[in-house]
Amino acid sequence: MAFNLTRRKFLQTASLAAAAVPLSKVVSAETGITKAPLDAMGTHGDQTVVGGICEMCFWRCQLVGKVRDGRLMKLEGNPKSIDNGAAICARGNAGVKLLYDPDRLKYPLKNVGKRGAPTWKRISWQEALDTCGDKLNQVVDKYGAHGISVFPHGASAKYPMHYFERTVGTHNVSEASFFQCRGVRDTAYIATTGKAPGEKVDMPNTKVMFFIGTHIGENVHVSHVKQYIQGLQNGAKLIVADPRFSASAAKADIWVQIKPGTDTAYMLAIMNYLVQNDKYDHDFIENHSYGFEEFSEAIKEWTLEKAAAECDIPAAQIKEVADLLAANAPNVAIHPGRHVTWHGNDFQRQRALACLTGLLGAYYVKGGWVPAKGPKVKGFSWKNHDHGTDYNLNYNQEEEALRHPYAPPGTPSELIRDCAISGKPYPIKGCVVWGQNPMQTIPNQEKMKQVFMQMDFVMCVDIMPTDATLWADILLPEASYLERYDYIKKGTQWNLAETHQQYIAPRMPLVDPMFERKDQVYITNELAKRMGHASEIPVKSLEEMTEKSLASAGLSIAQIKAEDGIHIQPGKDPYSMPEDFEVQLYNDDLADAGFPGAPTYIAVPDVPKGFARLLYGRAPVHTFNRSQNNVWLHNAMPVNPVWVNNEVAGKLGLMDGDTVSVVNSEGVASGTTTTVKVTPGIRKDCVYMYHGYGSTNPALSVGKDQGIDDQKLITILTADPESGCSGMRNNFVKLVKNGKVLDMPA
Amino acid sequence: MTTTDTSENISSVYRFLAQCMEYPDQSWMSDNFFLALDNLLDNLGGQTEKESIHKALAGPSKYTDSIEDLQVEYTRLFINARPHVVAPPYGSVYIDKSLQGKFAGDTLAFYREKGFAMDDSADLPDHLIHELEFLSLLAADNDQEGEELFLKKFFRPWFRQFHQRVVAESQHPYFQVVSQLIDFFTKEEDNDGFQLNPA
Repeated sequence: MAFNLTRRKFLQTASLAAAAVPLSKVVSAETGITKAPLDAMGTHGDQTVVGGICEMCFWRCQLVGKVRDGRLMKLEGNPKSIDNGAAICARGNAGVKLLYDPDRLKYPLKNVGKRGAPTWKRISWQEALDTCGDKLNQVVDKYGAHGISVFPHGASAKYPMHYFERTVGTHNVSEASFFQCRGVRDTAYIATTGKAPGEKVDMPNTKVMFFIGTHIGENVHVSHVKQYIQGLQNGAKLIVADPRFSASAAKADIWVQIKPGTDTAYMLAIMNYLVQNDKYDHDFIENHSYGFEEFSEAIKEWTLEKAAAECDIPAAQIKEVADLLAANAPNVAIHPGRHVTWHGNDFQRQRALACLTGLLGAYYVKGGWVPAKGPKVKGFSWKNHDHGTDYNLNYNQEEEALRHPYAPPGTPSELIRDCAISGKPYPIKGCVVWGQNPMQTIPNQEKMKQVFMQMDFVMCVDIMPTDATLWADILLPEASYLERYDYIKKGTQWNLAETHQQYIAPRMPLVDPMFERKDQVYITNELAKRMGHASEIPVKSLEEMTEKSLASAGLSIAQIKAEDGIHIQPGKDPYSMPEDFEVQLYNDDLADAGFPGAPTYIAVPDVPKGFARLLYGRAPVHTFNRSQNNVWLHNAMPVNPVWVNNEVAGKLGLMDGDTVSVVNSEGVASGTTTTVKVTPGIRKDCVYMYHGYGSTNPALSVGKDQGIDDQKLITILTADPESGCSGMRNNFVKLVKNGKVLDMPA
Repeated sequence: MTTTDTSENISSVYRFLAQCMEYPDQSWMSDNFFLALDNLLDNLGGQTEKESIHKALAGPSKYTDSIEDLQVEYTRLFINARPHVVAPPYGSVYIDKSLQGKFAGDTLAFYREKGFAMDDSADLPDHLIHELEFLSLLAADNDQEGEELFLKKFFRPWFRQFHQRVVAESQHPYFQVVSQLIDFFTKEEDNDGFQLNPA
C-alpha cells in the first residue's frame, strides 16, 4: 500500500490545505503535551526515593529507588535497614524490569472470546467495576455468598480477601501460601508449641543448624541468608537432609542423602536415640513439655537400624547427627522449613521438627528457635463477622466436626474445587483470583480448568498476565509494589547478638502508577459500593490505611519519610521463655480428633518401576512463575534443567545438556522441553527441577514455554489429613528424548 | 500559500494522526471524523485505502458494532493480547526492550528543551500519540529544524518497526491505513522527494 505522491510534493501543493482544514475540526482539544516555562538544565536530576518494600518475593526487603524524571532507574537496599541492609537479591534488583515490563497489564480488559483462549478488549474502569459488581451480585443472589470462591495471594490480596471472607461472607477462600506452602508448618507448630514458627531460628548464634530439605542459597531471602552465612562464619556445624546436593548440602558438615518421604522416620529415630540414651534436655522436658511418657512410648520402635532401612541412609550417620545435636544442645537451630507441602503427611513431619527442638531444649535460647520481639503496629481492614458453619466446606455437618481440624485460615483448596465441580453440597459459581496463579500453584491443572469453566463469572486482578488470567472474564490491572502504599514491614535487627532494635517500614510508592493501574483498596471499595457494603468500608485509600496503622505506633507517613523510610526504635531481649510455654510432645486434642497424638511416620507410595519421583524447589533468581517473564532474571536462568543421577543418565544414554521433555505416571506430558543436568548430586530414584517455569500464557513474550512447568506434572492429589494442605511430591515421571520415553532404571 | 500557513496545516495533519491513534470510541470517532479521514485520503490519492476502511466498517461486525471491532483490534495491537501484543506504541519498547527506558527519558528531555511538558494525565513520553502531538506543536511554532531533528532522533528510529508490525498483522484496514499515513508524513526523503529507507 502506498500513496501516489511524495510527502514533499504533497506539502507543496494546495492539496495540503484542502486536506488539513477539516482535520482540525475533528480532534479533541486536549493533548498530553502542553507549553511550559523553559526549565533550566539540571532541574530534573536524580532523586533517591525512600519507602520501597520489595515484593519480588514475600520476604519484603526495604528498598530505596533511584528515580530520574519519574522513571525508576535502579533499586537498592535501604542503607538504613537493620534487616536486609543495603543488600538486595537478584530478584529485588530486577523489580525495575517488572515495573516496566511491556507485557504488564495496563487497562481493564474484558474477555470477548473464550475462557482459556481470551480475546481482550480494553474497557473503562466504570464498565469493569459495574460488570464485576453485577456478576458477583448475581452469584450471591442466586447461590448465596458461599457461591463465591476466592484465590488470593500477596500483600495486595489481604484487603479484598477480608472483604469477601468477612463482609460478603464466603468461607471459600484458599491462599496458596497456606494450602500449597507453609500452612501445615504453622498449624503443626501451633498444635505443638502454641506458636507459628516462621523461620525464626537464631542461625548467627547457633552451634548446629539442622535442615530438612531447606536449601538456603537457592532459596534466597536476604536477611535469612545473612543469618545463615553468619552462623557458618561463626563456626556452626550444618546438617542437611536432602535427596539432592543442594546449595546448602554443598556447605554441610553432614549431608544426609535421604530417601524422599521418609524424613519423619529419620527424626523419630534421632529423637528415640536421644530418649533411649538419655541425651535430651531433662530440665526443659520437665518444665516445658507435656506427654513425654506417651511420646517416648510411641516412638520407641524407631531404632537407628529401622530408620536407616526406611530412609536408605547409614544408621551410623543418624547416630552421628543425633550425637552432634545433643552435644551442642540447647544451642541448635532446628529449621522449621517454609514450603513444606510435600507428601500429604506433612503435619507429622512438622510436629516431629517441633518436638525435636523441644527435646533439645532449643526454644528461646541462643542459637535456637527465638521469636524476636518486634514492634506493634495495628492493621486496618474489614470487620469480622460470624458467618456460621452451615456453608463451611471444612465442617462436617453430620459429625459436627471439622474435616481438617488443623487447617490454616481459609478452606482447603481441594474442598473448594471438588464442590465447584460437583455442585455438592452447593454450587460455587463466582471466582475471584487476586494475585494468585492457581493454575501453577494448586496441583492438577485440568481440575483447575474444570473449576474455571463451570463458573458463571471469573474475575482476575494481577499485575502481569499469568496462566490463570487466561480464564478471566474481566481482568483488572493492579498497581505493583513499587507504585502503591500498603504493607508495613516490621521486625528487628537481623542478628540477635547485636544491640536490640525494632523497625517499622511502611511500603510507600517509589513512582506513580502508569496507565490505568489501580490498587486493591480502590478496586475492593468500588466493588463493595456496588454490592451493598459501602457503609462498611474501613478506609478510603491505601494511604489512609497506612496513615492509620502508623498512628497506632505513634508515627505518620511524613515522619517515616523524614526518617528515610524506616523508623528504628529500641528493642527487647528475645531470649526469655514465656512461663507458660509448653511443647506438646503428645497432644491429647489431636488424639481425641482421631489423629496420632505423638509424631508418627506415615509411609508414602514407593516409586513405581520405570519411574522417578519428581522433586522441585526454589530457583535463586526466580520467584516461581511470577518472575519468569522478567527479562533480567530470564537471562540469568532461562530454563530449569532436570537433575538426573549420573549413573542413571549413563544407563539411559543421556548426556549433560541433552534436551528432554517429561511425562508422568498419569500420562500427562510436560508439553515443553528442558535440558538435562547430569550429576552424582541426586539420588537415583528421583529427578529434580526448579519450580516456576513453562508458563503457557502467550502474552508472556519472554517466559512462555521456557523450561518445564513441574506443576503441570503434579496430578496425583493428596491432602494432609490434619490440615487439608496439598501433597505435591507424590508424582512419578519418565524422561522423553527424541520422542522416545525412557524407562528410569531402579 | 505562506510558510506559516503550510506549517499550520502540517500541524493539523500531525494532530489528526495523533487523534487517529487514540483508543476508538464513539465520542470522537464520528461521521465527521471519517469524512475528514476520507478527505485526507482523497487528497493523497488513497482511494483504495479509503474503500478498504469503509468496507470493513460497513461489513458484518464480529462484536456488537464496528466501533467494538476496532476496540478489540486496538487492544490486540497496542495494549495486551493473546498471543502477543503486536505493536506496543512506545519507542522504548523497540529501542530499550522495556517501557520507560532511557529513550523515553531522552524524549521527555527533548520536549522540555523545546519548552513543552507532559500533562499529568498523559501516557508515557514516547507514546506514538504524544510524539505526533509534539510534532504538531513544533510545526505550529514553525520550528522545522526541531521537527526534523525530532523525527530523526526520536521518531523514525522506532516507528519503522512499529509500522511494519501493524501493516503485517493488523486484521482491520483502519489501523493499517492510519499507520501508512503516519509513515507517509514522517518518512525521510531525499532532495528529490524520494522516500528513503522504505518500510
